[in-house]
Amino acid sequence: MLSIVTRRVSQALLLLLVMSLIGFVGIHSVGNPVFNVVNVETATVEDIRNATIALGLDQPLWRQYFLFMENVVTGDFGTSYVYHLPAFKLLLSKLPATLELAVIAMALAAPGGVLLGLWAGRHQGGAADRAILRGSVLALSIPSFWLSMMLILAGALLTGWFPSGGRGATLSVAGQEWSVLTGDGLRHVFLPALALALPNVALIARLARAGTIEVERQDFIRFCRAKGLSSRRILFRHTLPNISIPLVTIIGMQFGGMLAFAVVVETIFAWPGIGKLLIDSIQLLDRPVVMATLTFISVAFIALNAVVDLLYAVLDPRVRLST
Amino acid sequence: MSIAFIETLRSRMPRGSFPFSKALLGTYILIAFAAPIIAPQNPYDLLQIRGWEASAAPGTLGGDGYIYWLGTDGLGRDIVSTILYGLRISLLVSIISTAVAAVVGVTAGVVAAYFGGWVDALVMRIVDLQLSLPTILVALIAIVTLGPGIDRIILAIIVVQWATYARVTRAVALSEIGKSYLDAVRLLRLPKRRILLRHVMPNSIAPALTLIPIELGHAIALEATLSFLGLGVPIDKPSLGSTVAAGFQYLMTGQYWISLFPGLALLGLIAAINFVGEDTRSKLDPRSKSL
Repeated sequence: MLSIVTRRVSQALLLLLVMSLIGFVGIHSVGNPVFNVVNVETATVEDIRNATIALGLDQPLWRQYFLFMENVVTGDFGTSYVYHLPAFKLLLSKLPATLELAVIAMALAAPGGVLLGLWAGRHQGGAADRAILRGSVLALSIPSFWLSMMLILAGALLTGWFPSGGRGATLSVAGQEWSVLTGDGLRHVFLPALALALPNVALIARLARAGTIEVERQDFIRFCRAKGLSSRRILFRHTLPNISIPLVTIIGMQFGGMLAFAVVVETIFAWPGIGKLLIDSIQLLDRPVVMATLTFISVAFIALNAVVDLLYAVLDPRVRLST
Repeated sequence: MSIAFIETLRSRMPRGSFPFSKALLGTYILIAFAAPIIAPQNPYDLLQIRGWEASAAPGTLGGDGYIYWLGTDGLGRDIVSTILYGLRISLLVSIISTAVAAVVGVTAGVVAAYFGGWVDALVMRIVDLQLSLPTILVALIAIVTLGPGIDRIILAIIVVQWATYARVTRAVALSEIGKSYLDAVRLLRLPKRRILLRHVMPNSIAPALTLIPIELGHAIALEATLSFLGLGVPIDKPSLGSTVAAGFQYLMTGQYWISLFPGLALLGLIAAINFVGEDTRSKLDPRSKSL
C-alpha cells in the first residue's frame, strides 16, 4: 500500500520536473520580462542592461534553469518582478484566503451532494431522482465564471444581501489573517464559496446516487431490511459507509480542483488568494510568481491524491488487510 | 380526444431529454452557420457600430428604427449579433480542438498498446499525470508556456484533452491486440502502419467516439473560461466567453444584459451538448443506465 503511494508520488514528481523544464523554456519564449521592470519610455540602454544583469536574465537559459531548480528545492522561487517580495513568501501570504474559501466551499458541497445523492439513489426512477439527475447535468454545464457573475448580480447587486467582492474584515490568528472568524468575513466568503461549491454538489450527488443504487441491491442490505432496521438507519449506517471510498476520492480530488478553479472565482470576487495572484502574475509576466504558484498547486494536488490513497486503508478494512 | 392525441404523441416521442436537447443543439449549429445572414449587425465591422448607442438597455429603439432586443454592449455592438458571431468562434475553436485531440489521443493510445515497452510506459505516465491534475491547471500551464492567441488556445485544449482519448483507446486496443485475427494479419506480414490504421484502430475507436460529445462540451467551457481570464481569444473577435468577460465591468454598474444573455446562450449550448452526450453514452453503455 505504502509502496504504491510512494511510487506514484515519485513518478509524479519526476514528471513535474520535466514539465517545469518545458514550462521554463516556454515562458521564457513568451516575452522578455525586463520590460515589465523598467519603464520602457524613459529607460536608457544602460538601464535595461543593468536590470537584465540584476535579474540574472543575461545568463544562458540552461544556467538560469539550474539556478532556478537549485533555489526551488530550498523553497526559493526568486523575487517577484512586480511586488519585489520573495515569490514563495508572497504565495504563502495569499494561501490562507484560498484555503478558507475552498474549505467553506467543500463544507457546503460535500454534505449537500451526499444527501442529494442518497435521496436520489433511494428513490431511483422517481420524480425527485430525475430532477436531481437533470439538475446535476445542468449544474455541471454552467460555466463557473458566469455562475459567479450571476451570483454577484442576484446576491449582491439586486438584493444587497451579500457584498460583491473582497475579503471583508479579518481576524489575525497564528500570524495569518482569517475571514471566517468574523461575521463580516463570513458574509464575504459566502457567494464565492457557493460558486465553487455548486458544480461539486452535482458531481458528488451523481457519484453518491450511483453508489447507493449499487449497494442497496446487495444481499446484506436486504438482510438489514429483514432484520427490521429502519430505512434511515440502513441508509446512514450501512449504505453510506459502503459508498464512502469513491466519495472520499472525489472529495479529496475536488478539493485540489478547487485550489485550481479558485483562479476563476477569485478573479471575479476580487478574493485575494493564490488564484487571483496567478492570473495577475500571468498577465504581468511576473515569472517567479507564476512558476511558484503553478508548482505549488500541482504539488499540493499530488500530495492530496496521496493522502486520499492512504485514507482508503483507514476507511476500508479490505484494503488494509490485502497488504 | 385531445388528451388521447397528446398521449399518442407522447408515446411516439423518443424517451428522455434527447429530442429537446438534440433540437436545441441543431438550432445552435444552424444559427452559427447562418450568423452573417440573420445577424442584424456585423460586430466586426466598425462602420456598422454606433458608439453613441453604447450600453443601451434591452428593447431600446436604435437610430435606424431597429430595436435592440437584448441591448448593446459597452462599445455599442448589438448583443444579439455579438452572440451569433461569438457562437461561431466558440464552436469553431472547440470543434477543431476536439477533433484534433481525438485523432492525437486515439493514435497515441493505439501506438502505445501496439508497441508496448518504453513507448507505452512513457505515453501512459504522461497521460496519468495529466489526468490526475485538474484540467484548468493543465490548460493554464499550457497557456503560460505557449502564450495567448486563438491558435494557442486550440493547442492548449488539445493538450488538455488528448490524454482521455489515449487512455480509453489503449485499454481497448490492448484487448484487440490479443485477439487471433491480429495474429493472422501479422502473419500476412503487412506493414506496421497498415496493421495499425486498417485493423487495430477501426476496432478500438468506438469508446473514443462516445467521448466526443462530452469532451466537446468541456472544450467550449474551457475556451470560454480561458477567454474570460483574458488568456484566450483576442477581444476584437470575441467568443461567447470573452463577450461575457467584457460585460463584467458593466455588471457592477447595473448593465447586466451585456453578460447575462451571452452567458445564457453559452449555458444553453453546453447543457444541450451535455444532455446529448449523456444520452449517447447511456444508449451505448448499458451499465451506465444505472448511473
